Amino acid sequence: MNTMASVLARVPLFKLYRAFGWPKMLPLNLTLSPSPKCNSRCLTCNIWMKREDELTIEEWDKVLASLGHSPYWFTISGGEPLMYPHVVELAQLVYKHCRPGVINIPTNAILPIIPDRVKRIARLCPESQLIINLSLDGLGAKHDFIRGIPGNFEKFEERLGQLLALRAQLPNLTVGIHSVISVFSVADLDELIAYADRSGADQFITEIAEPRVELDTVGLPITPSREQYAQAIDRLIAYVESKQFRGMSKITEALRVEYYKLVKRILDEQDQVIDCYAGWVSAQIYANGTVWPCCVRADDLGNLRNHSYDFKEIWFGEKIKGVRRSIAAKECHCPLANASYTNMLHDLPTLARVGGKILHPSGHSPGAKEPSSPIAP
Amino acid sequence: MAFEWLNKFHHEMEKDPDYAEKTLAAYRLGMKAKGSILGVVIQPLANCCEAARDLPDGKVYDPDGAPRLPLPGCSQGRRCGCVYRPVMSYQRGDEP
Repeated sequence: MNTMASVLARVPLFKLYRAFGWPKMLPLNLTLSPSPKCNSRCLTCNIWMKREDELTIEEWDKVLASLGHSPYWFTISGGEPLMYPHVVELAQLVYKHCRPGVINIPTNAILPIIPDRVKRIARLCPESQLIINLSLDGLGAKHDFIRGIPGNFEKFEERLGQLLALRAQLPNLTVGIHSVISVFSVADLDELIAYADRSGADQFITEIAEPRVELDTVGLPITPSREQYAQAIDRLIAYVESKQFRGMSKITEALRVEYYKLVKRILDEQDQVIDCYAGWVSAQIYANGTVWPCCVRADDLGNLRNHSYDFKEIWFGEKIKGVRRSIAAKECHCPLANASYTNMLHDLPTLARVGGKILHPSGHSPGAKEPSSPIAP
Repeated sequence: MAFEWLNKFHHEMEKDPDYAEKTLAAYRLGMKAKGSILGVVIQPLANCCEAARDLPDGKVYDPDGAPRLPLPGCSQGRRCGCVYRPVMSYQRGDEP
């Protein structure tokens, strides 16, 4: 089984790999997008309009077999991943071939079938932590407006209740709330924090709305200004720091605060700020089998259908080298959460600050809950 | 605008052979399914071909009527720097 200790042990090797191209390493953090189809109509995302010649489950089987036990963290993304008809089988294949520490699935919480699918995945992958993050971008009608679906908030609350009830039976299930901070929601972060705090969810995570090639949002005015974001996120940081966490949660919350501060710096400096390891440590496999270093740039590194479904052929091939050079030369920068958390694990000053926080915590709130999440992009 | 590098990067990406068909089909579906998309514009680069320079500035097309990229006669082929961009209702101050 993949453990966090095994991840940390590989950090120096990935640093060598990025600097010198040796030793050759497969990614720790892999996002799979089996289908772009989605039943939301979000203002901040256009992926739902896309249609692809999707990999079949038999093709996914071959791809995942080629990865072995290297990835620690899988995200099954979309579209709406829990609407994908083979999502349970896909998770089962991930577990069978890769035995990851974490399987992370975001959801719009609309379909009634979601709790059943979550239950089946959790039971079929007993030694992996299954994190289900329900999207929440506003309260009540505001959520419905941003997500483009009347009645979505009501369904969110229904699904949250069902998943929290399931959590009592499934020790490997973590239920979180995930908010995208966009120009449409940035003014409402305080009420989202308050809602998440009383919701019973294990974690509340946020990500800034950013343009991505994957989502066809390049050039769209969805990202809040640096000032708007800073004002909002400082209150979230203050909230997190007012809490007292124990065990693994102490580390995850310290990393989360680091991420929020990193985003502020990226917006301010328009620079990578810390080295990006997308293309070395993290990657994405899109619905049609194309491998990307990340969903922001979505460089076509090769299609698995043209490489006998062997991920290694693409990862250790020629085409990826030019993209890695571009990323290392800081020709790009972004606050993508999934990649950023991986990047922070490979940044020694960040790790030192997190270590310092664990040893000298500042939060002393007596009634604070203890979220049970592992490290969560 | 934040992340201006990505806009430039996207313009310079090599296009798939079916770029126009797939992108316009997506926008067609988006409009049919009542998303907040209103239409599509073509954004040329500064060094675009003559055909692209002749396009009406900022014209919003219905996906069915939008010119196919690369434009006929474009010397840059799949390296054509023109891109489609969706036009969203919130960019026009409309409700989606």
